[in-house]
Amino acid sequence: MDSQEEIIRVINLVKTYGDFTAVKGVEFQVHKGEVFGLLGPNGAGKTTTLEMLVGLRKPDQGTAIVGGFDITKELKKVKEVIGVQLQSTSLFELLTVEEILHLYASFYPKQVSIPSLIEEMLLAEKRKSRIKSLSGGQKQRLAIALALVHDPWIIFLDEPTTGLDPQARRTLWDIILQLKKQGKTIVLTTHYMDEAHVLCDRIAIMNQGELIALDTPSQLVKNLQSDSAVEFRFQNESSEVELHEIEGVTKVGNQKDVFVLYTDDLQLTLTSLIHMASDKQLKLTDLQTRTATLEDVFLHMTGRRLREG
Amino acid sequence: MRAYWQLTLSQLRIFLRNRQVLFWTLAFPLFLMVILGSFLGNGNGISLTIGVVDQDQSFQSKEFLTTLIENKALTVQIEKSENKALNKLKKDDLQLVVVIPKGYGASLSRPPAKNAPYLLPVYFNETNIAVTQVGLQVVNNLVDGISKEKLDYHPVVVMDMKGVETLNLKYIDFLIPGIVAMMIMSNNMNGVAGQIAAWRERGILRRMQGTTLKASTFIAAQITARLVLNGMQALIVLGVGHLIFGVEVRGSWFTLISFVILGILAFMAIGFIIAGIAKTPESAAPIAGFLSFPMLFLGGVFFPIKNMPEFLQPIIQILPIAHLSHALRETMNVGASFMSLGTEALILGGWLVGAFIIASFTFKWE
Ligand SMILES: Nc1ncnc2c1ncn2[C@@H]1O[C@H](COP(=O)(O)OP(=O)(O)OP(=O)(O)O)[C@@H](O)[C@H]1O
Ligand SMILES: [Mg+2]
Repeated sequence: MDSQEEIIRVINLVKTYGDFTAVKGVEFQVHKGEVFGLLGPNGAGKTTTLEMLVGLRKPDQGTAIVGGFDITKELKKVKEVIGVQLQSTSLFELLTVEEILHLYASFYPKQVSIPSLIEEMLLAEKRKSRIKSLSGGQKQRLAIALALVHDPWIIFLDEPTTGLDPQARRTLWDIILQLKKQGKTIVLTTHYMDEAHVLCDRIAIMNQGELIALDTPSQLVKNLQSDSAVEFRFQNESSEVELHEIEGVTKVGNQKDVFVLYTDDLQLTLTSLIHMASDKQLKLTDLQTRTATLEDVFLHMTGRRLREG
Repeated sequence: MRAYWQLTLSQLRIFLRNRQVLFWTLAFPLFLMVILGSFLGNGNGISLTIGVVDQDQSFQSKEFLTTLIENKALTVQIEKSENKALNKLKKDDLQLVVVIPKGYGASLSRPPAKNAPYLLPVYFNETNIAVTQVGLQVVNNLVDGISKEKLDYHPVVVMDMKGVETLNLKYIDFLIPGIVAMMIMSNNMNGVAGQIAAWRERGILRRMQGTTLKASTFIAAQITARLVLNGMQALIVLGVGHLIFGVEVRGSWFTLISFVILGILAFMAIGFIIAGIAKTPESAAPIAGFLSFPMLFLGGVFFPIKNMPEFLQPIIQILPIAHLSHALRETMNVGASFMSLGTEALILGGWLVGAFIIASFTFKWE
């Protein structure tokens, strides 16, 4: 991994809002040509970090080198080599897809062919439609197209698939993987573990303004040291049950009234759990077992789920 | 440069596709013009200031003057020279000018030669018929009184009425330049403030800030697009005024267009300041309204500035709208040249420069 060429180096980035520190000295590197995921619950500081990297917020401390340029000193050069899709953007609703692409392309010295960009982003039918009339997925593809008009090396996508239906999400995944194939470096944020798993070469997990893990998806799961998870609920409000004492359990998590036991030995843990339940006359419901996922890594590390509610 | 053209073009497209805004920004001034123009016709507020040029300086002329001063309906202003007084009359600073020629006193003390009464020249402004009628009536009564006093009911003195202005101006001629000024103010000040604040709120400006676009290019394109749009709107209003009411542009189009451009720029700059100050798009409209509403009534859009109360005059004299409406009016009605409107140009220019300097400090992308 170290042999890979570094394209972004983030050095001790800090951002405070009043007396609240949203980003607390984050450091990481992104390699050329990879898809890098920033993962974290709401308010973790993902957007703040990303927007500092693209020059939309001024860091209070630290800096980053993006594409060889310092974001605090050579922002204009940085902007020429990056493309940005923000979490919440609206565009001139009364312009058409084609018009707004030409408009944004005119802001840069270099640009790609707009017709083929429209083709690639699957917007050919909507070429002459007003932005107002686009669907959520189409708007999102347009936002990404706008990030690509000047043929940037590095593309920042802030929650590109949030709010989209499963089919639209898959379409976007294909587009992102296509971009990766073209040799672009992509930094994206997401709440979806499956998405991170499919798209990202490496994942940085953020929580409360801090980077708490950074690795490949499979390595992160492996580090959990438990390959299975057992999920269940007690039918009645359960009180002092020592779930840690169940055999084979490496870690216990819970989310509201759902308990998750992580284990290396599924069979042992299951029999032990059922024994304990009948001993204490507790009724188990919604019992299920599955292999551990990134979601579990997250729950394990932060005690919180990625998406709330 | 490409960015500048693309942005200008996009802004014009947005204007043209926003049918409703386009319609109402034009409909309102046209509606006002037709309604006010048809109903108010020639009317004007009445305040009579009469200038008296006493070339005689005799006992009799002093006596005449005292009678005038004693009359409550008139404000009397003593003028030294006849020419100056007539100029003031043309500018509407005076409504009537009475000249007491040399020999007035002497001729009154002489016994009346047969039946020929003395002719007292009274000048009035034909553009202000309503005011003038009242004024002449008042003076006539006085003159009558004097002559009756002098010799038993034999008119000794008779007014010799002389019209001064030859242009036949009506209220509509006053109104249309005012409406053009009003349109320039509201479309630019209120329009820019509202639009920029809304774009900022919706993150449109922020997204553009993420590109290599420069703020100056963005602002230059805004200005160009608004110049084109408002220039066309002003032309439409002038065109309708010409077709329905026969209003003409007597001065040069160059002067007229120069002032339209100056006005657009000055009010846009103020609009940018408001957009910078306003925290939300919802607050931009009331702030702009707070500024534009008094300007509409004080700034000589619908009513002549001199009809405003004395204590407001110093404030009115610095309002940009006052100078814009005055300059447009002078150009259209009287045919004043650009050079003769130097003060107006300077004050508007001052607003423009000052406002742009402030705007560049208060402007925020987000
Ligand atoms: N302009 C701001 N002023 C004050 N606080 C802010 C501002 N922007 C963000 N914050 C706070 O900083 C923290 C991090 O916000 P950020 O938007 O970076 O989170 P995020 O990880 O992107 O969350 P989400 O997944 O919901 O998008 C939050 O607690 C947020 O309330
Ligand atoms: Mg975010």
